[in-house]
Amino acid sequence: MLAGMMAVLAAMALSFAPDAFAQAKTLNLSMLAGFKEDVLRANLPDFERRTGIKVAVDAAPLSELYKKQLLSLSTGARHDVLFMDEPWVPALSEFLLPLDERARGIDMQDFIPTTVDAGAYQGRQYTLPVDPNVQILVYRKDLFEQRGLKVPTTWEELLQAAKALHDPAKQQYGIAFTAGSDVQTPLYMTLLMWSYGAELVDARGRAGVNTDAGKKGAEMFLELIKVAPPAVKSFTFADVNKAIQLGQAAMAIQWASGAKPMEDPTRSSVAGKLGYALVPKGTRQAPMRGVWTVAIAKNSPNLEIAWEFAKWLSGREFGLASTRYPSAISAIHCARVSVLSDPGTKQALPYADALLGNLKLAKGRPRLKEYPDIQEHMRVTASRLTAGELSLDAALKEMDAGINKLLGK
Amino acid sequence: MGSVQSRRWFLVPGVIFLLVIDMVPLVYSLGVSLYEWWLVRPRDVRFIGLGNYSALVLDPAFRRSVLVTCILTFGAVVVEFLAGLALALLFAQPFRFLRPMRAVIMMPLFVVPVVGATMWRLILHPELGVLGYYLSLLGFGNPQWLSDPTLAMIALILVDAWRTIPFMFLVIHAGLETLPAELYEAARVDGASWLQAFRYITVPLLAYIMLVAVLIRGMDIFREFDIIFVLTGGGPGTATETIQLLNYRVFGLGHMGQANAIGVITLILVALMCYLLIRAVLRTR
Repeated sequence: MLAGMMAVLAAMALSFAPDAFAQAKTLNLSMLAGFKEDVLRANLPDFERRTGIKVAVDAAPLSELYKKQLLSLSTGARHDVLFMDEPWVPALSEFLLPLDERARGIDMQDFIPTTVDAGAYQGRQYTLPVDPNVQILVYRKDLFEQRGLKVPTTWEELLQAAKALHDPAKQQYGIAFTAGSDVQTPLYMTLLMWSYGAELVDARGRAGVNTDAGKKGAEMFLELIKVAPPAVKSFTFADVNKAIQLGQAAMAIQWASGAKPMEDPTRSSVAGKLGYALVPKGTRQAPMRGVWTVAIAKNSPNLEIAWEFAKWLSGREFGLASTRYPSAISAIHCARVSVLSDPGTKQALPYADALLGNLKLAKGRPRLKEYPDIQEHMRVTASRLTAGELSLDAALKEMDAGINKLLGK
Repeated sequence: MGSVQSRRWFLVPGVIFLLVIDMVPLVYSLGVSLYEWWLVRPRDVRFIGLGNYSALVLDPAFRRSVLVTCILTFGAVVVEFLAGLALALLFAQPFRFLRPMRAVIMMPLFVVPVVGATMWRLILHPELGVLGYYLSLLGFGNPQWLSDPTLAMIALILVDAWRTIPFMFLVIHAGLETLPAELYEAARVDGASWLQAFRYITVPLLAYIMLVAVLIRGMDIFREFDIIFVLTGGGPGTATETIQLLNYRVFGLGHMGQANAIGVITLILVALMCYLLIRAVLRTR
């Protein structure tokens, strides 16, 4: 009887053993939900097959992802690897594994230089670039040709073109973007303010929004709302895409990754009719850089396999596959020059030239630990402005005051 | 006597369990609220006493969120109470056709709040929503329910009411069923109208039950989060940003001391509301 019991116990132990072994080769990945997730999931089986490493994907929407990553990292690294937006790197660097030593073993020269900078903070490299993104101007080539309009190069020209193409009675609107509580709204506001020469944080380390330049940018933002779809104040990233895909908006300022589904004939009624250009300028051209990167939690018990995953995600093979994948909402580009200049990539990404052109001019957001708080403050204040709770002057004053308070000034 | 005392000891494990579940997190939260603790700077945690509380009292965003919470609580409770009372009075009538409709009225109560809010977000969508479509057919235009500050608050109140009117109806209807019919017969014989019977018989006898229902719903709405998060996210602007939404935002940015201070203040405000309502309830006894 005792022998029988021992045999049963041994069998139970053996049945758990493979699971225990498999758990040692499982990575927990914090990923962006909805956008780009489909691209990653479609290619994960290839990684898992080749390496034997299982990847458990924990996806969260953009508006929640920073919160989730901050809580995860600060309370003990539930995630081994993190798909991280570049403005979060300074705030989260405390908890990330510096990759300088390991990066010497991969071809860093193949990355577009500005995308590498997106993962650096105070002289250390904390992340590898995966998906270089930048704001571009998307416009309806056919409508512009019909009306004899030229592609706008300044915000004033864009506003005039939007007014000419704005016909609400026919559900045709000049331009689509977000102007409400959505997380993209402060980025549009910032883009416009930058274009006229304002800075979120100036050279003295103080807020620089409540200036003539900042006011000009905000005024242009409010003017553009008048030639946008009526629901622009509840728009999200996906709604901006939809407005173009349904043929409702003549133009959009959108992240380049959003342009891919606009060109998908199974999802867009205007595929093949779109043109792509540099973001217009005010006194300067300053499209916003937004590189998605991959980071490793420094307290992760799986550092080596996490590094294998990071290399794969930022590598050439995944890059070639991801740029060709028909993403539903948002593509994953590749930060490698060899991939972006590949003829197949240029065919898969009709906006590749605009992407690269805008990347060369792209401006990064302030590299500050306080930046996520600053962006959240801008989001709330901008949405209060567009909701009519604040006048323009009061909103600019509040933006400045809030930023200075966050910076301890 | 000895056996009564020895029976009391059996309560001790339960009391200890409740104290641990309730008091330990509360005391911890209170403790954290006395610190400046930002997760992004884990080595810069310092004791600041009531600094978080004074900062909140001076913060216009916090004061605004308290006002929004009070407006939402008052508006939703009034709508739910009046609608629940009207339905309970209607179902107190001896009409057979009403019986199967009781199940239909109860249905919103079984819908998960997040699912309900998502459904209403689609119904109220400015371009895809059916409500806007039919309103425009009837000549009322297409209101931007979730983009207009006033309409967004009204939408929240109505969506919350849609979900919890059945609860009010259930409680008040149960109370009505216990009222003695002889009182109403006597009133009818004395020539009292329906309104007089309602005012002088129904209201005094049901006051206790109605106030309890109002108390429960008031506490729930004051702490409401999921419906507001899904439907408006606190927008447009901060038009529907309640204390809970603000707390979620602060917590998400890693400001632990401030977030816990908001939690403690919420507890105090809810306790104050309960105290005032319970005093009103006890006065009816």
